[in-house]
Amino acid sequence: MTATPMPTAPSPAIEAVALRKDFGEIHAVDGIDMSLSPGRIYGLLGPNGSGKTTLIRLLTGLASATSGSVKVLGVAMPSRSNLARIGYMTQSDGIYPELSVWENLSFFATLYGQTDKAKLHATLELVELDTRAGTPAQDLSGGMRRRLSMACALAHHPSVIFLDEPTVGVDPALRVQFWDHFHRLAADGATLLVSSHVMDEADRCDELLFIRDGHVLAQGTPAELRTRAGTQNLETAFLSFATQPRAGSAASATPGQPKESHR
Amino acid sequence: MNALRVAAVFRRIVAQFRRDPRSLALLFIAPVAIIALLGWVLSSQGTATTRIAVVNESNNLTGAAVATRIQTALDGQPGIAIDRTVADDSAARQALKDKTLDVVIVLPPGFGTQDRTIDLMTLGLNPTGEASALPAIQKALLGAVANTAGAVLPTLERTTVYGSPNATQLDTLAPVVVGFFAYFFVFILTGISFLRERIGGTLERLLATPVSRAEIVLGYSLGFGFFATIQVAIVLAFVLGRFDIPALGPIPAFAIGLGVRTIGNPLIAYLLVLVLGLGAVSLGIFLSTFARTELQILQFIPIVIVPQGLLGGFFWPIDQLPSLLQPVARILPVTYAIDGLRQVMIAGADLSSPQVLLDMGVLVAIAAIFVTLAAATIRREVA
Repeated sequence: MTATPMPTAPSPAIEAVALRKDFGEIHAVDGIDMSLSPGRIYGLLGPNGSGKTTLIRLLTGLASATSGSVKVLGVAMPSRSNLARIGYMTQSDGIYPELSVWENLSFFATLYGQTDKAKLHATLELVELDTRAGTPAQDLSGGMRRRLSMACALAHHPSVIFLDEPTVGVDPALRVQFWDHFHRLAADGATLLVSSHVMDEADRCDELLFIRDGHVLAQGTPAELRTRAGTQNLETAFLSFATQPRAGSAASATPGQPKESHR
Repeated sequence: MNALRVAAVFRRIVAQFRRDPRSLALLFIAPVAIIALLGWVLSSQGTATTRIAVVNESNNLTGAAVATRIQTALDGQPGIAIDRTVADDSAARQALKDKTLDVVIVLPPGFGTQDRTIDLMTLGLNPTGEASALPAIQKALLGAVANTAGAVLPTLERTTVYGSPNATQLDTLAPVVVGFFAYFFVFILTGISFLRERIGGTLERLLATPVSRAEIVLGYSLGFGFFATIQVAIVLAFVLGRFDIPALGPIPAFAIGLGVRTIGNPLIAYLLVLVLGLGAVSLGIFLSTFARTELQILQFIPIVIVPQGLLGGFFWPIDQLPSLLQPVARILPVTYAIDGLRQVMIAGADLSSPQVLLDMGVLVAIAAIFVTLAAATIRREVA
């Protein structure tokens, strides 16, 4: 996890320019620029209501931006066909309680165009639900439902994966498995954007985006952010970035870190 | 449009309902039970005896003679019992209140050769029910009064163009009930299903896949069209068929099915109901946008379903509605379904009938409008 230079990579996997989303008077996303490189895990960290879910919905094209633009894998969003290359694990489980594990998985996979049964079985094995294929989702434990939800987002082998608070309500052992799996996906070339409000997950990401009140406070590897904030504790680091005046964000509070907001 | 994705949505809806026996019962058993109840109530109508008293307040000979004639004329009639113990107006009113009498025929004080007004008095709590015995009484009265004047009363016979003059209310009501049930249940079930997509987070997920709104609406229409088809087949079989079960031991003989007489083609009736149902699927999807809970979907029943039952021509012909309500009735899909079903089931019309084609065309247009509205609301931001 060395500090990579700016998104000078030829084609960023996810790119947003001056992205804004207003709900009436509220600026849920208040001018975000980002450029995320392929094959890395990005952590989207911020308190509840900081705009994480809205940002993900804008990036997937589920919400329409008030202004600004989004490109995923080089294609301007919203694009229905491009969604086949994107996986999105929503914050709520988003599965059909009456349907069995297998029916849920094959339903979403079919919509994504993945009909290869062997690959679906492989996905089920990955989340360790292969022995539960016939169980109705409503009879699963909370952790199993979370795993099924993840399987539904991954069965079509997407190149860009959005995971909105994937580990909420997941026990520590399973959480470790989730993160191991995320790293395997990144190693295979997928780009992951994982939102969380739990700072102890932050160290598992290659790079972090601190977000508050709809804008990015700081971006960098966990080590960089610690150095810039002058603290070992990421939570303290977040608070120190949060207290800096926003107007100065373009100039960036900490020298030598142009990563923040480059507009 | 991708057939694979439409089929996936269709199969999912069928699988969901297969796992939900109560909703299946609601779809298939409830309409049959309600129509059976309706048939039972309607077919036993008019068997109760109407108790009648004749009160002469006129104190003259003409009055007394007419009163006797009326009593004699009515006495032999089936379903009518004459009570000769009630003597005056106040006793008659009390008897009506006590429910020992149903109708009182009053010859008022001024009754005579000049004033031939006769009062028919009933309790007034249930005007429709009380009125059911009146035609027979009126006929007897006319006869009795006319004979005193020496005139001969013309005999009235009744014929109808369609069906038979003996057609019961059930014969004309049952075919249209089929359409109404399909509409009601399809609307409620789609509304709730789609609301659950919205609040359960699965719609958000669906929209994150390459599926299009048209594919979702089409998949839903196929899914609920499938169940509506089974429902209509079962209900029509029950309404039109009749299977008599002979008495066996302590169980008395009974019949399954109503055996309603029809000369229509059930297939065309089914087509009408199907188009009506497709409109209901999209209406359910559309209105689910405006509900946050399943209870709020049920709140649409008095707004959407009941007015259609009242104004759709179910009980009163559209032309007899107040002029302000007639245009309202003419934009309701159920109005056209009921008219079409009556044309087909009672008048025996087929697809060559311009009236049936018009009804079908309007239903298709209404369905198309709601499909568009439904598709438009699906992208509405769930946030």
